[in-house]
Amino acid sequence: MGNLIHPDFKRSAKSLSGELSIQSLHKQYRLERNYLNVLENINLTILPGEFVSIVGPSGCGKSTILRLVVGLDSDFQGRILLDGKPITSTSTDRGIVFQDHRLFPWMTVWENIAFALVNSDLPSAEKRDIVSLNIKRVNLTGFANAYPHQLSGGMAQRAAIARALVNEPKILLLDEPLGALDALTRLYLQAELQRIWIQHRSTMIMVTHDVEEALFLGDRVVVMQANPGRIKRVVPVPLEHPRDRSSPLFHRLKDEILADLIDTDSTAEAKRAKSLALRSDLG
Amino acid sequence: MNAISTAKKLPIPADALGLLAVPLAMLALWVLVTRAQWVPEQLLVSPTKVIEAVGELWEAGELQGHLQNSLRRLFLGFFSGAIFGLIFGVLMGLFKSMEDYCAPLFNAFRQIPSIAFIPMLILIFGIDETFKIIIVAKAAFFPVALGGYDSVRGIPKNYFEVAKVYQCPLWPLIKQVVIPATVPQILTGLRLSLSRSWMVLVAAELMAADSGIGQMMEWGRQMFRMDIVVVGVFITGLIGFALDYGFKWLESRMARWKMG
Repeated sequence: MGNLIHPDFKRSAKSLSGELSIQSLHKQYRLERNYLNVLENINLTILPGEFVSIVGPSGCGKSTILRLVVGLDSDFQGRILLDGKPITSTSTDRGIVFQDHRLFPWMTVWENIAFALVNSDLPSAEKRDIVSLNIKRVNLTGFANAYPHQLSGGMAQRAAIARALVNEPKILLLDEPLGALDALTRLYLQAELQRIWIQHRSTMIMVTHDVEEALFLGDRVVVMQANPGRIKRVVPVPLEHPRDRSSPLFHRLKDEILADLIDTDSTAEAKRAKSLALRSDLG
Repeated sequence: MNAISTAKKLPIPADALGLLAVPLAMLALWVLVTRAQWVPEQLLVSPTKVIEAVGELWEAGELQGHLQNSLRRLFLGFFSGAIFGLIFGVLMGLFKSMEDYCAPLFNAFRQIPSIAFIPMLILIFGIDETFKIIIVAKAAFFPVALGGYDSVRGIPKNYFEVAKVYQCPLWPLIKQVVIPATVPQILTGLRLSLSRSWMVLVAAELMAADSGIGQMMEWGRQMFRMDIVVVGVFITGLIGFALDYGFKWLESRMARWKMG
């Protein structure tokens, strides 16, 4: 396991697929007679193998972006392209990890992970190998026969990550995957996620509330604001992985992003009122 | 003492002495009341008399005959009622249009006690087996239908989303997601309907039957054989308890993942 981490933390040229392009994406919800702009003019291109973090206040639509990219919701305007092909529905080339692990409580860890191959034609021996490989990958060896209620929150989330990795997705979407965990488990799993990212070499997008987490993992941090949900700023993080949380640049970026978020939050209420008033004309 | 030490060997969850304390105290009180003749013997027979009656009925083969008849009706009625109830409930849970058409009538019928149908059913079917099986089936139908309906409606949307992310086809979706998600609640519905079926059956047999535990009790009443009536009461209770306990065991086996 030890030398699975790439020595210089550079992505190899092997994975040139997994480019996600979001072009003038709009999404509205209808609230009785009003239209609420959940996402307004989102433009974002994510390179193959890149790790992009998205931070923003509640209600800025950051999780909605992931739901659209994974294909659980196809009610939007604009284009979402993966390697140039538009996304129409779910596909095993896009994986997702939710904040709640969403393991089936009646299945063991093994069965839950194997469920990701439910629509695959692989011979069962091969499926077995893939499942056990992924159990190893998230360090859950020995817990294959445990039921979700027997796992800690961190272990359940690791099982959910393994399930998402089984199909070797080109892009892995992480919707606040560590949001429900305690601080220590979070730190540990952040390092685990980084190790998996380096090993797995897929594109990853993570939505989080935690600015430090966003900076620790992301090549770029997308800062969003709410009402309507839009991108405020994209912050490149020019630091080598694995990152030193105590470096001056890390701190400066963290302060900047936090300032952005606080600024957004204080005006959010006023904007919400304004946006509702404007949109009501459309109804 | 003897009873307690044998009970300890049985797989009873809590400590056997605690479980048997109340029944044993009641038995002691019963012995005391009949020994002291505080209540006339015509009204409350002694435990010895009841045990003798069991022996007498058993040797004559009557007890077995009545039991066999009652259980046959119970299972025929329960299974037919439960199967229809399950299909109906699941369909109503899956299809909104079916719910719209059927729910009002379903909910109205549900409020009518099963025994209220007895007079009507006797007029239509006579007092033969058909009437008893129908009344039991009716009693079984509603709790199972309700359990099936609620459980299908209660499947979290999250489960379907996970299935969609992995492009789960319909049959695995039913087999691996819908059925396991609904089994615990459906089993609870089946258990409730089984004990309700049993109660309704005994009541129906009391009113109109030529055999069965209920009829045995009714016959005992007419003959002033309180001992036989009490035997019937005990057997009814024991069977009901055993059915319920057996089903609970089945529930815990089939939904082991719920045990936390």
